Amino acid sequence: MYTFKNRSQVWDTVGMWAWLFHRVTGLALVFYIILHIVLMGTSLLRGPETFNSVLGFLMGSTLFLILDLLLAAAVLYHGLNGIRILLFDIGIGFNRQKEIFWVLMAAGLVIYLFLLWRVLPEIF
Amino acid sequence: MTLNVKVFRFNPETDKVPRFDTFKIEEFPNMAVLDVVMNIQNYHDPTLAYRCSCRIGMCGSCAMYINGRPRLACRTQVSSLGTKDITIMPLPNLPIIRDLAVDMEPFFEKYKKIKPYLIPKQDLKEPVICKPDSGERELIDYMLECITCGACYGACTMVATDPHYLGPAALTRAYCLIADKRDAATRERLVIVEQSEGVWRCHTQFNCAEVCPKKIVPTQAIQQLKKRCVFKRLGLFRG
Ligand code: HEM
Ligand code: SF4
Ligand code: FES
Repeated sequence: MYTFKNRSQVWDTVGMWAWLFHRVTGLALVFYIILHIVLMGTSLLRGPETFNSVLGFLMGSTLFLILDLLLAAAVLYHGLNGIRILLFDIGIGFNRQKEIFWVLMAAGLVIYLFLLWRVLPEIF
Repeated sequence: MTLNVKVFRFNPETDKVPRFDTFKIEEFPNMAVLDVVMNIQNYHDPTLAYRCSCRIGMCGSCAMYINGRPRLACRTQVSSLGTKDITIMPLPNLPIIRDLAVDMEPFFEKYKKIKPYLIPKQDLKEPVICKPDSGERELIDYMLECITCGACYGACTMVATDPHYLGPAALTRAYCLIADKRDAATRERLVIVEQSEGVWRCHTQFNCAEVCPKKIVPTQAIQQLKKRCVFKRLGLFRG
């Protein structure tokens, strides 16, 4: 009889986006790590020449280095928000969860800008 | 000032799909969203279905999805929305009976699962002493304010994606009883909440805390339970 539910979500909260990005970056990292292990593993098994040429190709590719910057952003976000979640797990920060999020994001931005400052001259 | 009100309409007996009706409503001072809904029913469309009772935020029957969040219609001032465009939908994650009235049965079924009543210890000779200033007591005190409106249940993505997850309100109630020194069914309740569709579904999203009209933070109650579940598994739980 009752055939319908309102499936609307709440989108205007910090926690919603913190959670969603955590899951998206977490899944992206799993995907990356599988790719990474398979690629490194197979090229290593084929001997030093193959390994060197694969790495040389990747490190020489601008596209790959830009993807690496995206990877760094994902790790940074996932790690910093991961600290926030772990604080909750030990019972800290329930009445300051949004403030903790923004402080960590500010720290992340500083770290990322530092990273760009060091890495961008290498790429371009 | 005129309000542009969009209201979700659905009658499972006659409609295949839901629709939105729009109404122009004259705003008056201190108007609550529940006044808007009543105004529509009184003067524009008597067939509009919704639920309310106390009108002062204590019965917990008027939770609706108002401008993007579950809120108590009676405690939400139109002026607090910051816009003249109001969209009213039924509380998410619950089956719709008609229009804005949802069936709270699944919510209370889960509430019942954790045995939401005190089961007193029988062998106590002395009265239990709960010091008013002990930290734990303070958590219970404000969490007992829950009016079972279901706003948290309607705001939680984990509830939305797992119909069996107990949800914030039931777990908060379980915590209030488990942390109560006079209660005898602590372990019994822990066995229920330690299931994967108990406390472990919570991913600290905090949407429940954001929408709770009583300013409860169910996330914290759930964390307190997670801690006890881990201690219990390690054989370190006393109580
Ligand atoms: C930098 C160190 C890391 C920290 C501090 C961290 C922390 C966390 C925490 C606390 C959670 C639980 C989130 C929740 O309850 O919803 C989580 C979830 C997850 N993490 Fe990480 N993590 C880290 C690195 C990684 C890496 C390297 C991967 C990929 C291989 C990964 C993949 C995931 C996945 C798939 C989830 C599940 C997402 C979810 O539950 O929504 N994490 N992480
Ligand atoms: S915890 Fe808050 S939002 Fe949830 S049912 Fe109780 S009063 Fe409503
Ligand atoms: S009518 Fe009772 S809480 Fe709104």
